[in-house]
Amino acid sequence: MGATARAGPTPSAERRGRRRWLLLVALVVGGIALAAGSTLLGTVAIPPQVVVQVLLHEVSGGQLYPDPCAGTNVAPRLCGAYEVIVWQLYVPEILLALIVGAGLGISGGALQGVFRNPLADPFLLGISSGGTIGAAVIYVYRFEVAQADLFLPLFAFVGAVATGLLVLGVARGRFSSVETLLLTGVALANLLSAVLSLVLLYNPVGSEQVTFWLLGGLGLATWEVDGIAAGGVLVLATLLVLYGRALNLIQLGHDVAQSAGVDARRVRLRVILLASLTTAIAVAFTGIIGFVGLVSPHIVRRLWGTSYRVVLPGAAVVGAIFLLAARDANYLLFPGSLLPIGIFTAFAGVPFFLYLLYRQRTGSTMGSV
Amino acid sequence: MSLNGAPPVPPPRRTIALSWFVVGLLIVAGVAIAGTAAYSALRSSGPATPGNLTVTDDLGRTVVVPLDPERVAVLSPSIMDIMFRLGLRSHVVGVDCYAAADGGLAEDYSPDQVALWGLSSSMCIQIGPTFAPEMLENLTPQLVLASTIVSVAEVETISTTLKVPVVMLQPPTLSGILVDVDLVGTIFGVSSEAAALNAKLSAGLYNATVVTGNLSTLPTVLVTYYADPNGYWTYGPGSFGESLIEIAGAIGAGANATLPYPELSPAQVLVANPSVIVYGVGFGVNESTYTAGPLWSEFSAVKNGNLTGIDSNWLTEPDPTMILDGLPTLLAAFHPSAA
Repeated sequence: MGATARAGPTPSAERRGRRRWLLLVALVVGGIALAAGSTLLGTVAIPPQVVVQVLLHEVSGGQLYPDPCAGTNVAPRLCGAYEVIVWQLYVPEILLALIVGAGLGISGGALQGVFRNPLADPFLLGISSGGTIGAAVIYVYRFEVAQADLFLPLFAFVGAVATGLLVLGVARGRFSSVETLLLTGVALANLLSAVLSLVLLYNPVGSEQVTFWLLGGLGLATWEVDGIAAGGVLVLATLLVLYGRALNLIQLGHDVAQSAGVDARRVRLRVILLASLTTAIAVAFTGIIGFVGLVSPHIVRRLWGTSYRVVLPGAAVVGAIFLLAARDANYLLFPGSLLPIGIFTAFAGVPFFLYLLYRQRTGSTMGSV
Repeated sequence: MSLNGAPPVPPPRRTIALSWFVVGLLIVAGVAIAGTAAYSALRSSGPATPGNLTVTDDLGRTVVVPLDPERVAVLSPSIMDIMFRLGLRSHVVGVDCYAAADGGLAEDYSPDQVALWGLSSSMCIQIGPTFAPEMLENLTPQLVLASTIVSVAEVETISTTLKVPVVMLQPPTLSGILVDVDLVGTIFGVSSEAAALNAKLSAGLYNATVVTGNLSTLPTVLVTYYADPNGYWTYGPGSFGESLIEIAGAIGAGANATLPYPELSPAQVLVANPSVIVYGVGFGVNESTYTAGPLWSEFSAVKNGNLTGIDSNWLTEPDPTMILDGLPTLLAAFHPSAA
């Protein structure tokens, strides 16, 4: 091992490394292309030329294409509507899909690393149930602030974070094993689901909107929401990436990690806290979108290997693309219809999940986890 | 006796006890079945009525109903409206309600309706979130008048298991309301009252044609009854609401939708560019539900102040009140100069 390291990488390892870099570049370029193409998809079909001109008009502050519909036969009134639709609806929606997808992807990767369990996902600790309870409080009790401004995501965020902290708090101290933490999360999630069912049972009016929350959606996307979500996810994701090396050592066992100077217990708590906060941001703005956090880290492992220094940022990139692709699938498969985005991530995620189970039963370990 | 001459072996004591137990169980079961059958036969003969009547309801079902029943369960606010307007309130012993929240009635009936119709929680028959047939049976109705808020399986339970006839009143169009008024009048022997009410309703519909008859172009409108972060719920092709909008002389923003009750995205509303927006309020939905909806302030109807909030019952309940109160309000909102 040491000799190999001194002698430098072998030609085949070098080739593999180059191919991985190429893959990464291709993925990022593909993601950017997908984001650009996504502006053409939505509940209203807008001529591609108008979309491009609106984007150039807005990005240049009106310098380019002062009339975004110049050279087209789109009526002035419709042109104004298209401008609003592209710049105030589609673009914020696409950005929110990228931000939330990245957040869920990196959270899933981090939690799979902490729990050393390939089936761990960001909603494992009951965070989603807590967020939904927070949202339900707004919807069901019909506060005057319902949907207004940022109260709705704020309540959902508080609910999600409170649940995450509660799980961590309950599972601390002498009950601080990974198993206790997981089981506490599962138990609390079930309890909160029961509470939610009870609340909705007695408040059926709010149940319509809570359903939106349960299946996820990008309907709250605005530039303001994107700014807040992007800021939060960027900071938290950067902090999570810094724990990549520690997570690699934890995969070798807590004793090994300890001997390498990593306090496994402390790292675990911090990573769970960061992942919970990231997930809470996602839940706050889009509701519960399943499978992004579960699937993305596995795709990265298959493409780039099992090092968490790669898995964490890679899962963010893949998660972003995955969620955006799910949004686009909605509009491609059901033109003009609004369907909860969680349906599409589930359609893509469930087969992968089953594949994962099958691989486990047949002896595969999906990498080092 | 055994063939080889050996003495017969008596069955073990435990087997004898078990046999007696099984025989006893069978006797008890037989008595229970016979008793239930006798009770059921007694019930199916029903209370004494002047006679029966065979009617066809809105779902095309042929139902034999007692003539002028004294005890009726009404499972829809729209039917309750017909009953009240025909002076049949005293016949109603039970109404639909939802769980036990707020006495159960508040989710289905507005406070005004509860007060006007003299409803109380003791009349509550829970149909949501799960149907409680025992609450219906406890009120011993002779007839159930229901809309499609009651499922087919529940109708089956009421008519087959509880043996109470069910007439479904779910008019597909505004003119269907008149048919239902006539049917209820026939069942309760108040045909003249029904004819008088139908005359009023016909006049209301005729007035609408007078207002809208000379319009050269029809305005595009958004009639919405709910909003959420994804958009605005409205009426599409084949829905009752679309027929209401058409009679009020307008084209709904959801007219080209693929579903009868679509949710329009804000982008779709922007492109449809409705000149008027009418939104339903009540049952926990108020103006702020819509004003906080996506891109609400971008709609030209909002910018121009062409907004009208109306009782959501007038938009969702196909009953006489929809024609007498809801339709004139829509006409005034859609055609302020003509109405």
